[in-house]
Amino acid sequence: MSIKLHRIGLIAARDYKAAITSRAFLVGLLVMPVMLLVFVVLVPRILNSRSPQVIGEVAVIDGTGKVSTELSHALAPAEIARRRTVEAEQSPLKPVSPASPAPASGPPIPRMTLVQVPPDTDVATYKSWLIQRGDATPRHLALVVVQPDAVTRRPGAVAFGSYDLYTSSKLDETTESTLRNTVRAALIATRLRTQGLDPTAMATVQQVFQPESIVVGPAGDRSASRVIARILPFACGMLLFIGVMTGGQLLLTSTVEEKSNRVIEVLLAAVSPLELMYGKLLGQLGLGMTMTVVYLVMSVFVLAQFSLSGLLDPMLIVYVLAFFVVTYLVFGSLMLTIGAAVNQMAEAQALMPPVIILLAAGYSLSGFIGQAPNSTFSVAMSFIPPVNTFAMIARVSSSAPPPAWEVWTTLLISVVTALLVVWLAAKVFKVALLMHGRPPSFATLIKWARMA
Amino acid sequence: MTAALEIEGIRKTFGDKVAIESLDLTIPQGATYGLIGPSGAGKTTAIRMIMSILFPDRGTISVFGQGSALKAKDRIGYLPEERGSYRKMTVGAFLIYMGCLKGRTRAQAYGRADRLLGRLGLADVNAKKCEDLSKGMLQRVQFVASIINEPDLLILDEPFGGLDPLSVRLLKGVIAEEQQRGATLIFSTHVMAHAEELCEQIVMIHQGRKVLDEPMAGLRRQYDTRRILLEPLDPGANLLALQALPCVEGVKLNDHGCEVRLHAGMDPGDAVRAIAGVVAPARIELSRIRLEDVFIRLVGESGGVHGSQEALRTHLQGLSNTGAAA
Repeated sequence: MSIKLHRIGLIAARDYKAAITSRAFLVGLLVMPVMLLVFVVLVPRILNSRSPQVIGEVAVIDGTGKVSTELSHALAPAEIARRRTVEAEQSPLKPVSPASPAPASGPPIPRMTLVQVPPDTDVATYKSWLIQRGDATPRHLALVVVQPDAVTRRPGAVAFGSYDLYTSSKLDETTESTLRNTVRAALIATRLRTQGLDPTAMATVQQVFQPESIVVGPAGDRSASRVIARILPFACGMLLFIGVMTGGQLLLTSTVEEKSNRVIEVLLAAVSPLELMYGKLLGQLGLGMTMTVVYLVMSVFVLAQFSLSGLLDPMLIVYVLAFFVVTYLVFGSLMLTIGAAVNQMAEAQALMPPVIILLAAGYSLSGFIGQAPNSTFSVAMSFIPPVNTFAMIARVSSSAPPPAWEVWTTLLISVVTALLVVWLAAKVFKVALLMHGRPPSFATLIKWARMA
Repeated sequence: MTAALEIEGIRKTFGDKVAIESLDLTIPQGATYGLIGPSGAGKTTAIRMIMSILFPDRGTISVFGQGSALKAKDRIGYLPEERGSYRKMTVGAFLIYMGCLKGRTRAQAYGRADRLLGRLGLADVNAKKCEDLSKGMLQRVQFVASIINEPDLLILDEPFGGLDPLSVRLLKGVIAEEQQRGATLIFSTHVMAHAEELCEQIVMIHQGRKVLDEPMAGLRRQYDTRRILLEPLDPGANLLALQALPCVEGVKLNDHGCEVRLHAGMDPGDAVRAIAGVVAPARIELSRIRLEDVFIRLVGESGGVHGSQEALRTHLQGLSNTGAAA
């Protein structure tokens, strides 16, 4: 059968142009970056900016008689701000540019005033202090009951006592968390002082800023980030998933549309079914590739903002694109076949779940496999199509990438799988294109494949 | 000269259903063939096999000497019965796309599209989106798409369906131009009047088999010798008086006069003389066989399978032989 490449090119170009100028694609392209921007940058800022500063009283029944002073000091807004700064400094995700110390970030610092309650007060009775009218001031935020052995252990006991916390029903989670951290800091400081140690000196001794590790390789040293190493396999899997889903979905909808508005037979007057199929596959491959490249460029840009672009191995980008092509060919062919077999999108929904489940399974694997890239499971998965591409891209992008021969073996298996699936899809596609009426089952699709 | 189309013994089944059985057909270059038959007879399946959209289970199809239409697609124009277009594409872009797919350059496709659109009264739709056109306008655009490549073989499946009389006339004009250019035409239709008007040869398919392959001229020469059409010289003449003649079985009045049906076995010559003796005729003639009569007789009345040309001849004789049809 003669296949003319220029016809395939024409079909691909038309489909690519029609899809890339469609509103659906542009919206789809922007959805992920916008969502990332919203969830990572804007949402916390909006939430924090809208949170009013919490002002109120915290009552303490100090069974030790020693913690109140330290707690009063630890509750001071300046002290809370200092602790937040230290925590931010120790975070491995801290921005390296600018090089100045990370400023205290997060929600507004609550202003909590300590109310000391005599230690012999009955807790069961005093709890009612927390029940107020909504507009009452000052707000009663919480009651901290420090156990008598919280600073000095009972004879023979291994552990120190702790504290009980009673809160108002209106206390938000962030303020409660700040309060817990504050009580903890006060307890530790009091215990240290009781044992004759200087809490400030101890805090300084315990403070270790997390360095960025330097990966030493034959090509020279490069910086590494544990967080990036953890995120990268997941991100690469997501890149494959989004690219394949976008290309595949558009392939499905455009085929269903061509079939339902009867343009298919007009096209088949000019091209063979196979030219049509290859053209459509190629057109949406270009589209998925465009999306993948746009996201790759964005990712490199974001990494560069954190001076982490050195973490991206150029070969990883090559692998992502290569694995995208073979994964797309497998899933795209399946979606194209479904599009050819049905008459409208509603019918396609019935046939899509197995394909989506397979695709989602591959994507879900990438996160796990990235954590244990060389486990037996991970190695086995990287050779079992059609999820092998997701498994391998997760391994390649992990902190312990596999040897090159394994990567190329996976690629070879994927290419063979893709060719097989395209061949099978072509058989069904030829028969299904002109079939109208009742939507087919999977058994019917297999029958059509045998007929062709 | 190589035939435009040669079909030998093709058979096509869909599961248990036989769509086409042992079809043979040869269409010389430059001929105009009408493909008729009832719905579900196998016409569209046959056309799809000619176009290599479907492939026969057995038998061969040769288009311009090529073993498959795929090798000659650039020389073929096809207007399917179920035709569509890209709704969001402009008419101009759609026609250029179709022209390029059929091996024309953009400039060639643009030039021909421009001329044909003007010819069909659509000179100003080039920049409009297909979804903005009326159904009739879109059908004319689709017709232009089918001949954008100046095809040597043009296959039209119900080209006039849903068109208004003016559009039908415009399309017929362009089809006539294509015939004059030397294109071979295969014309599939249910409308017998169109087939009679446009075609030189009629091929009828029924239940997957070819039951008629006759020149239109030959069919026109066939007469129904049991029916006489009479137009009286005097419009007020008493035509019902003809019923008293021994050869007349019945008289059916119409706008121009009447149709006289003869008893079986009557000599038509004697009957014409007898009728003219009673009512002075302005025009008197034996009724011609219409393609529609053949179609209805073959499909409707027989009910059974018509396996061959022999069956056709029997039915034509049934229409023309006063004794045999009784």
